[in-house]
Amino acid sequence: MALRSLIRHETFLALLLVIVLFVLSQQSDRFFTVGNLLNQGRLMTEVGLIAIAMTFVIATGGIDLSVGSILGLSAILTGVFWQNAGLPLPFAAAGAIAVGTLAGFANGVIITRFRVPPLIATLATLALYRGLAEGISQARSVRGYPEWFYLLGQRDVLGVPTQLWILILAAVVASIILAYTTWGRTVYAVGSNEVASRFSGLAVEKTKLALYTASGFAASVAAVIFVSRVSTTRSDMGSGIELDAITAVVLGGTSIFGGRGTIVGTMIGLCLIQALKNGLSLAGVKGDGTIMLIGAVLILAILASNLFERSGTRT
Amino acid sequence: MSDTTPYVSLKGMSKSFIGIKVLKDVDFDVRPGEVHALLGENGAGKSTLIKMMSGLYTPDAGTFTVGGEEVKFSSTRDAAAKGIATVYQELLLFPELSVAENVFLGNYPRTAAGIIDWAEVRRRTRDLLDQLDSPELDGDAKVLTLSVAQRQRVEIAKALSKDARILIMDEPTASLVESDVQRLMEVVRQLRARGVGIVYVSHRLPEIFALADRVTVLRDGAHVATRNIEEVDEQQLVSMMVGRPIDSLFPKAEAKIGEPVLEVKSLNHGRQVRDISFTLRRGEILGIAGLVGSGRTELALTLFGMTPATSGEILMEGRPVRITSPRQARDLGIAYVPEDRGLQGLVKAMAIRKNVSMATMERLSSGIFIKAGAEARRALEAVKRLSIRCRDIAQPVGELSGGNQQKVVIAKWLETVPKVLILDEPTRGVDVGAKAEIHTIMGELVKQGVAILMISSELPEVLGMSDRILVMSGGGITGEIDRTEATPERVGAAMTAHRNGIEEAVR
Repeated sequence: MALRSLIRHETFLALLLVIVLFVLSQQSDRFFTVGNLLNQGRLMTEVGLIAIAMTFVIATGGIDLSVGSILGLSAILTGVFWQNAGLPLPFAAAGAIAVGTLAGFANGVIITRFRVPPLIATLATLALYRGLAEGISQARSVRGYPEWFYLLGQRDVLGVPTQLWILILAAVVASIILAYTTWGRTVYAVGSNEVASRFSGLAVEKTKLALYTASGFAASVAAVIFVSRVSTTRSDMGSGIELDAITAVVLGGTSIFGGRGTIVGTMIGLCLIQALKNGLSLAGVKGDGTIMLIGAVLILAILASNLFERSGTRT
Repeated sequence: MSDTTPYVSLKGMSKSFIGIKVLKDVDFDVRPGEVHALLGENGAGKSTLIKMMSGLYTPDAGTFTVGGEEVKFSSTRDAAAKGIATVYQELLLFPELSVAENVFLGNYPRTAAGIIDWAEVRRRTRDLLDQLDSPELDGDAKVLTLSVAQRQRVEIAKALSKDARILIMDEPTASLVESDVQRLMEVVRQLRARGVGIVYVSHRLPEIFALADRVTVLRDGAHVATRNIEEVDEQQLVSMMVGRPIDSLFPKAEAKIGEPVLEVKSLNHGRQVRDISFTLRRGEILGIAGLVGSGRTELALTLFGMTPATSGEILMEGRPVRITSPRQARDLGIAYVPEDRGLQGLVKAMAIRKNVSMATMERLSSGIFIKAGAEARRALEAVKRLSIRCRDIAQPVGELSGGNQQKVVIAKWLETVPKVLILDEPTRGVDVGAKAEIHTIMGELVKQGVAILMISSELPEVLGMSDRILVMSGGGITGEIDRTEATPERVGAAMTAHRNGIEEAVR
């Protein structure tokens, strides 16, 4: 029953996406072109990578609000490690990713070892990591990266933006993990009933620790891609990106209470938001109007899927 | 019993949900001053019937008269106005509010100025609680500080505050310990003497024989019989409920008792598990009796690694082991079917298949990927072996009846091929038919050499199923009684008398 209603939610969402694409393509002839759509894919990769990890986190009934700050911290560190510490850029980027992953691991430790609710723990580290990023950067931005570095964020491979390949690969791997592995099953079980999972001998704490660590990793990989795309590093990078990611996940049908959710849903949600943002701005709608519409779509999508579900279950 | 004209009378009641008839042409009535027991297995239609009487459901067909006039309830408020009140199994109180606030919620007496008259609220609450022989209950105490039995009395006080003439009680003793059950039955008798008509829903036959004046049995949504209690015996009631004769309520299978599997020496965990020593042998059922809070469940949790022992020794098949997590307990061959099925035993939203495999996922996977085929085969086999009644193995466990849910939990742990199976209240909230099935399963397991540690609040179950009985009280063992010497009196005495002794010793 649960699976069926999920499929229904995703079908509904996909349908909505098609309608949105159609309507937007009527509004502006620059919207539905291969060039524009691929460019949108480029723009949504960072949120997408974070949203994939966030789908796992939310499916266990948790949340990670610190991802935007981890992104900012890793971005700054990429620049600092390269320019100030004089490391070769690949090592600098790897170092920044390592620190970001460690930041995620720290979230996991706070949540599993000290039993701080995820919302509060990551709200605290949201401030903490952003503060670190700002302190390290001293409000200076780092520019002048070597040309080859832009391959990641500004060039194409086989006609498709490089980072979009990474997103696609990540999405495929993540869907397989979530749907077919013992690890994915544990994620759903923990999200549905954490106590029963523990009583069944599942590794609840280890799983959660791994998820928050993965979330930090995803955010810092997104940071490196972000830096490569915009050719510069600033400490305020990625602020607010956690909300975009959570919106995509929830729009995609993942229950905020845990136990339900798929990567496919998250990806459709992501595309829907990006299409709305871009299409509406091409159609001449102002930024605030776009945000309002995205809010409305989110509520409508959740309402509609609840409605479907209720008609399918018995009283 | 003096008045035989029914106050509430239902004739030809029917109700369907999305095309499925859950109640077919049922007659039922309640007279003032009687206890009318309503019996039936889960899914027999008892709850649908009481929800109609309390105004939650409207019948599709049939006539419903209260005090001689026909009524059509569209809300619980309508039912309350006619003097029908319900005490549900899951008590519907507000834990953060005081007893008095809960009793008069939505119904506060007011002063002339229209302001809530708190002095009157307190006075009347005290009055109601005294009527229920509950002088120890404080009207100003927050409900969350009360025990289940006390909360139940608050619910009854609430019903009485609305001048209930009919009180519907849905499995009132399901979560009470023996001493509280006795007290509740006293309250019910008092209410009856005051002319209140009581609809009493329970699985526990001894209570029904002790309390009821009449009994109505439902099966598969249909009315089977209504009898005066003197006209029936236990066997007859059970076969009416199940639709087939059941030979014995506690079929003790004779198994060969072998060498020790689990030896516990001076085990301690905090204040709840104190200096526990015992030996459990292959093929043995060791019953653990004790009141709630006696440390029974805490002992189980310690053996299962949820709350690791602080001192003492555990030997599995002669080998000393330290158990610090459920995972480790499982790998050592210890399985635990927990007390709270919904919270601890099952992931209700998940399919039967996934619940059955939950404790053995690694074994059913190739390191990373779950072998879906093997998993489905194991689940199908379990469904067949334990006769779990379900649509298919993809059905979410939450949709099954209590007894079948319990069988899924047992199936999950049998998948681990345990040497020691700890069952905590294995038949709580399970109907008679499924209960007998679970007991039969236990019999089969001990024949295969599994050692069972069974915790139960139900004395007849402990006496009927165990080879040996450990009685716990105040965290320690206060009695070890062999099957041949066990009587309710002896076990009961060890459960309470010794506790006082220990408490005094502690002070």
